[in-house]
Amino acid sequence: MSSVNLARALRAIKRSVWVYHLNSGSCNACDIEILDALTPYFDVERFGIKLVGSPRHADLILFTGPVTRESLPKVVRAIRAMPRPRLILVLGSCGVSGGIWWDTYSTIGGFKKLEEVLRENGVEVDRVVYVPGCPVRPEAIIYGILLLLGVVEQKVKKVEVVASES
Amino acid sequence: MSIARILEIAFRTGRVTRKYPHEPPLLTPEFRGAVRVDPSKCWGCGACVKICPPNALSLRSDSGREVVLEYFVGRCIFCGMCAEVCPARAIEVTKEFELSSTSLESLKYGVAHRLVRCSSCGSLVWTEAELRAVIRSSPVAEEYVVLCPRCRKTRFARAASIRVGAGSE
Ligand code: SF4
Ligand code: SF4
Ligand code: SF4
Repeated sequence: MSSVNLARALRAIKRSVWVYHLNSGSCNACDIEILDALTPYFDVERFGIKLVGSPRHADLILFTGPVTRESLPKVVRAIRAMPRPRLILVLGSCGVSGGIWWDTYSTIGGFKKLEEVLRENGVEVDRVVYVPGCPVRPEAIIYGILLLLGVVEQKVKKVEVVASES
Repeated sequence: MSIARILEIAFRTGRVTRKYPHEPPLLTPEFRGAVRVDPSKCWGCGACVKICPPNALSLRSDSGREVVLEYFVGRCIFCGMCAEVCPARAIEVTKEFELSSTSLESLKYGVAHRLVRCSSCGSLVWTEAELRAVIRSSPVAEEYVVLCPRCRKTRFARAASIRVGAGSE
C-alpha cells in the first residue's frame, strides 16, 4: 500500500486539486477564511482548486481545528476514506499545535497527536503542510497549497541566535 | 435577474480577483502577522512568556548555563500582547503571514541567553542582557548587582546588624 509515487501524483494533480474541507472543532474563523479563498476575490479555481463534498473524491484535505475528543473518530474515518496519496493542509494554529486550545481537556491538541492516532489505526498520510495563522489569511491558504504542490519555496526555517549587545 | 442585467453588473464592476501570488496581498494596516524578537534588545526576562495566552513563547533551559526564549509561530494567535508587555521593546508585530512549512521544527525561532552566576553562592540568577539592562537603568551598588536575591538579603541584613550593633554600644 505504501508504494505511492508522490512526485508523480503531485505532477498529475498539480493543475486540478480537489479539496475537502474537514473541520475538527475549530472556532469557525479559519473555515470562513477557506470560504473567502473560494470566492471570486481570491478565486482558487485559478489553480484548479475545487471544493468537493466527500473525502472519497478529494486529493487534499483542508484541515482546521484542534481535534476535539468528540470529533476524533469521525476525523480518522474521513481521512481513512481518502484515496492515496493523502495530502493534508493543516490550517490555523489550532490545527498545527492546538493553538489557544493546546491544553484544554476536550481537545487532543492539534495535528501532531492526530498523526499518532492515525498511525495507530494504520492510516498513512503522504504529505502534510502546516499553515500557521489565527485565523489563516486566504493568501496564506493559497501559499500553503502552492508550497504543498511544490510551486513556491518554503520561507521559514528553524533559527536559533545568541542574544548580543546592541 | 436576466442575463443582460448580470452582464451589465459584471462589466461595471470589472475584475475583483487578486492575482496573489503574482500580485501583492491585501494587507490592511490593522493586520497582525508573526512577531519578531530582536536578539540585540531582548533581555530574556520572560514577561512575554508569562502573558502569551497559548504559550507560543517559552523559556527553556537545556544545559543550565543558558536559557532560550523560544517562539513557536505554529501556536501563536497573533494577539500582539507580548509586544505590549515587553519592557525592552524587543518584540515587533510584523505583517509576515507566508509561514507555511512542511515540518513543525522549522516554525521555531530561539534567542539564547547566557546566564550569570551569583558572585557569592554561585547559583544561576539572571541573564547577561538583564544584568546589563539593570546596570544601565538604575544606580545599584556594584557589589550588590552581581548577587542573587538571597545573598543580597543576607549581606544587607549583616551590614544592617553591624550598624545597629555599633549604634547601641
Ligand atoms: S486557529 Fe484561531 S481562528 Fe483558526 S480555528 Fe483556531 S482559534 Fe479559530
Ligand atoms: S525582553 Fe521582551 S522579548 Fe525578551 S524575554 Fe523579556 S518580554 Fe520577552
Ligand atoms: S502575539 Fe500573542 S500568541 Fe503570539 S507570541 Fe505574542 S503573546 Fe503569544
